[in-house]
Amino acid sequence: MIPLPPRWMIFTGILAACALAIPPVVIARVRATPDENRAVHIFFDMDFQPKFKSQAENPLFADGRAQRYAVAGTVAQGETMLDSHLYEGAVNGKWAETLPEGMSMTPEFLARGQQRYNIYCSVCHGYAGWGDGTVNKRAMELMSNSEGPVQGTSWVQAKSLHDPLVREHQLGMLYNIATNGIRNMAGYGAQIDLEDRWAIAAYVQALQLSQDASLQDVPPELRANLQTNSTQGEVK
Amino acid sequence: MSRFLFPKWSNLLLPTIIAAALTIPLYAVFFVAYGFSPKTLEVGYQPKQPVPFSHALHAGELGMDCRYCHTSVEKAAHASVPPTQTCMNCHTQIRPQSPKLEPVRESYETGLPVEWTRIHKLPDFAYFDHSAHVNRGIGCVSCHGRIDTMEVVYQKSPLSMGWCLECHRNPEINLRPTSEITNLGFDSATDLTAEDREALKKKYHISPSEDCSTCHR
Repeated sequence: MIPLPPRWMIFTGILAACALAIPPVVIARVRATPDENRAVHIFFDMDFQPKFKSQAENPLFADGRAQRYAVAGTVAQGETMLDSHLYEGAVNGKWAETLPEGMSMTPEFLARGQQRYNIYCSVCHGYAGWGDGTVNKRAMELMSNSEGPVQGTSWVQAKSLHDPLVREHQLGMLYNIATNGIRNMAGYGAQIDLEDRWAIAAYVQALQLSQDASLQDVPPELRANLQTNSTQGEVK
Repeated sequence: MSRFLFPKWSNLLLPTIIAAALTIPLYAVFFVAYGFSPKTLEVGYQPKQPVPFSHALHAGELGMDCRYCHTSVEKAAHASVPPTQTCMNCHTQIRPQSPKLEPVRESYETGLPVEWTRIHKLPDFAYFDHSAHVNRGIGCVSCHGRIDTMEVVYQKSPLSMGWCLECHRNPEINLRPTSEITNLGFDSATDLTAEDREALKKKYHISPSEDCSTCHR
């Protein structure tokens, strides 16, 4: 039989071997759980450079913003915004009925309008414009709470775009509403690009046509298509 | 006076030391590779934000498009955190007295920004461009995970160089039509066939560069 070392030495050896198993377990746990603190940065390399990225913080300014607003009263080149058709949606004091110069009512333009409408407008007005968007639904639920509106909620049912009044809005007015808002609706001028707002206005008119159409408005070659769909219980 | 004699068991020391000398470096390599990997250190960062904004509610339950708030993602390198006005589009009327919204109201009144904690950070020498990716068929979910199920957002991907290159070398599996960019439930791997993805690769002219200067300037 091989002579063994003293027991304390064997014991320490086994203990050390077991201790080696702890770090992998700890690491596996760290991997599996979220952590409120950012990891300690061991090698800095050039990870943190003395520069400001978008929306970063700059303590030198009172508001802490690294990105600065334009000085009040200044106008950037090309942003005089004097073209009232393009920027206000009005021509000679009347709502414009047509698109501004440089934009044309193409299928692509309407498709863009549809895409943007679905992003920014459908949340309240619904995909088809009936004022049944998800945000509107939730807000109406908060309003109809049995113990009164939740936390001061004061929501007014979003307008249906097929309301007779809204149907009468000219293209320029729809554009202006998208830009500056109306009644309880906030303006989206800062969120949506200029041309996209015109595309949305155009798409809203297309929606209005589509929801107020008869079979006679559908090209004859496509009517069969519509009827087969409706037999499946779905009108598209 | 007796001489010191090594006990007989000390013959075991040599094989033990050799065994240790072989395994301990292996163990150390494993420890560093596994423990110091960005998958361990960076993934799962979930800071407490000044407002307990729930993406699970807004993007998930309400189904709001990512771009409703992160408006610059298709146009710029940076996917902007929305200004307070965007919150107030709705919250002037929905739960305007909620205590959770206090920092938002304060920002709205003072004009000072809400101080959100940035989660996804790249080293300052890496230049990532959101617009270049989302306009050519890489969806939000590929890097950010199912944000629409997160009550509190955490970092899903390691954002390491190896992780970037993995996709730059084999982008097909992550490609989707640009119409599905913000559809977080869309899975390119299962919802598209290999031919679909190959067609998208052609359509969007995808040939990701692995040159240093692509990301490092």
